[in-house]
Amino acid sequence: MKEVRLWTASDVSDWLTDEGLQEYTDAFQDVDGPALLRLSEEDFKASPLSLVTGDSGRHLLERIKTLLLTSHMKAHKNNNNNENGHTVIALANGSVSNGKIHNGIPKNGLHPEPVRILIPQPPEQERTPYPTEWFKTGVAFLYALFCFLTTTVVISVVHERVPPKEESPPLPDKFFDLFDRVEWAFSICEINGMLLVGLWFMQWLLLKHRSIIGRRFFFIVGTLYLYRCMTMYVTTLPVPGMHFKCSPKIFGDWEAQSRRVMKMMAGGGLSITGSHSLCGDYLYSGHTVMLTLTYLFIKEYSPRRFWWYPWICWCLSAVGIFCILLAHDHYTIDVLLAYFITTRLFWWYHTMANQQALKEISTGNLFSRVWWFYPFQYFESNVRGIVPRNYQLPFLFRTVTCTRVKYSKLDSRES
Amino acid sequence: MASSDHQGNKDPTNTDGTPSPGTSCPVHSHAAEEAKRNGLRKALVRHRDYVKISVPEGKGNRLPSEWWKTFISLFYAILNLVLTTFMITVVHERVPPKESSPPLPDKFFDYIDRVQWAFTVTEVNGMVLVSIWSIQLLFHRYKAIVARRYFFLLGTLYMYRCVTMYVTTLPVPGMHMVCAPKLHGDSQAMLQRVLQLLSGGGLSITGSHLLCGDFLYSGHTVILTLTYLFLKEYSPRSFWWYHLLCWLTAAVGVICILVAHEHYSVDVVVAYFITTRLFYWYHTMANLQTLKCSPNNYLTHTWWNPVFNLFERNVQTHVPCSFCWPITWPPACLKNPCKKYSMVQSSREE
Repeated sequence: MKEVRLWTASDVSDWLTDEGLQEYTDAFQDVDGPALLRLSEEDFKASPLSLVTGDSGRHLLERIKTLLLTSHMKAHKNNNNNENGHTVIALANGSVSNGKIHNGIPKNGLHPEPVRILIPQPPEQERTPYPTEWFKTGVAFLYALFCFLTTTVVISVVHERVPPKEESPPLPDKFFDLFDRVEWAFSICEINGMLLVGLWFMQWLLLKHRSIIGRRFFFIVGTLYLYRCMTMYVTTLPVPGMHFKCSPKIFGDWEAQSRRVMKMMAGGGLSITGSHSLCGDYLYSGHTVMLTLTYLFIKEYSPRRFWWYPWICWCLSAVGIFCILLAHDHYTIDVLLAYFITTRLFWWYHTMANQQALKEISTGNLFSRVWWFYPFQYFESNVRGIVPRNYQLPFLFRTVTCTRVKYSKLDSRES
Repeated sequence: MASSDHQGNKDPTNTDGTPSPGTSCPVHSHAAEEAKRNGLRKALVRHRDYVKISVPEGKGNRLPSEWWKTFISLFYAILNLVLTTFMITVVHERVPPKESSPPLPDKFFDYIDRVQWAFTVTEVNGMVLVSIWSIQLLFHRYKAIVARRYFFLLGTLYMYRCVTMYVTTLPVPGMHMVCAPKLHGDSQAMLQRVLQLLSGGGLSITGSHLLCGDFLYSGHTVILTLTYLFLKEYSPRSFWWYHLLCWLTAAVGVICILVAHEHYSVDVVVAYFITTRLFYWYHTMANLQTLKCSPNNYLTHTWWNPVFNLFERNVQTHVPCSFCWPITWPPACLKNPCKKYSMVQSSREE
């Protein structure tokens, strides 16, 4: 298409037909390109054009303006190609840097070249309501690790204080009266626990917002173990059954104690791995905490379609907890208290995280009086809204996309 | 209004048939003059034009009293107290004797030796706090709502206590404790004990604290903590000295329980934790209206959520801290209910 200035009357007529403005073709029989460009509103007020037009020619004038723009752009593209890729570097303020102005003298205040405007990228917390912030997840992980270490040390200390079974017989317990001990039940509990933790770990890898959810898990688990340290330490319950084999006490031998602590941490405190030989950590039960918490997290962050999956996990969890009691490894009160504290903390934390109104200190919000409110605000202040259950393969498995869809004329110019 | 006047205009004396000039409510003023001029029959005919628009109550009372709900929660609290008493009697039979099951090692007991009169201090503090709270409740304007909450929380905490006491029985915390002899299966004597415990309120001052086994968790801590929390929540914020005094009373009471070696430390810690969590949970749910409508509210996963909904359904706002005389002079009875308000009412009555 040639430039508008070079159009003849028949070109104008063709263009009008293309644009759907056939009503003007008769009136514009003598109008060529330059005359078309010279048209203004006054021309439409006088006859013969006033008879033809319905809107004082506004529509047509707009079309002419658009035509002018596109023809300018095309002309300069052609010019650029002719001049061996002479590029114009446009600055943010839109001026033409090399001083050369091509064929297109700016008409009506229009710049001849498209101008690239650099938009600074806003920080991640403004771009998305669920920023990743791996640093905070790291802090939560360290906190959980610290709490596990403290628990192990406290178990080791408390072990020295457990009264021997001969002196202090097991306390009367309703469940123990009803059910006799089954020896292999504790292994079932631990296998269930390991299964649940494994399932939760795999599910966590597949979540899209794994940094936020991981942060929550570490914080809650750490706090639960911290509470457990306190309740274990202040009062020491005797062993729940005569079948217990407690390691001998080492009075004050720090080296041997720290070795014990290392062994316990390496084995995760499970009796399957042989690291559960210390006694005294009864109130409240750590196994119940892990079983309950992993089930709650699995249920919370699993897709609604697979309704059978949380049900299976619930069965695993319930059987595991029942087996703890069946094995006479914990008192009933330990299990009850662990269940109560875990569920309350989980629901409390998630309700606070999901409601904006609860993240602020106010007279109506009594939740803000809890001691961990400031760490909670640190972790959750940039998370706006409820974290959706979206899934995404972890980074290593994601294939890099090679194809790139071209969207617009400008985009194609750049490439 | 003007058009309905035209359509319903059956008065033959009105000859012009045009709307009354310059009046915004032609029906009323026109009809008044007409009624005065033409008497009762005409007035009734005129008033047939009126259309009754029933307006719904609107916001109404945002903090309704609903005393029947308060009585339900009072009944619930009493039921749980009786159940606890009964449970203590049952558990008492199962407590191992001190000779065979010595007191468990406790960190606080290692550091601080027993002081004999400390438990009396606890009980006196408890009674003082409860009486101050009763007075404050009596003068509170919305005593029905506040009392309902207090009884419900107290009942629930005692119910949890029943469960924890029953499942595992801890041995006595100190060799000083005197436990009443066991009655092996004598139901009549057990019933007598229950009544004795109830009448004395479970306090050792009144001589009704002879039964052992109710250690996990501590009921005295529950009362002290819960009463302090309620005192603080429902009193003016500026009374910081009052809050401080109550806090000191409660704290001294709780520490004296441990000093007297009457409970293990874990009993007190667990009681404090459960009481505060339940209080905060209930009150946050009640105060924030957005939570009641929100679908992602995990707070509704508790078993007592339906009861909460029943009690707090009609409470639409934060209970303000306002006080009034407990016995209000009923001015409504002295008002004349037959005072005439408008032409509409009087003619309707006629």
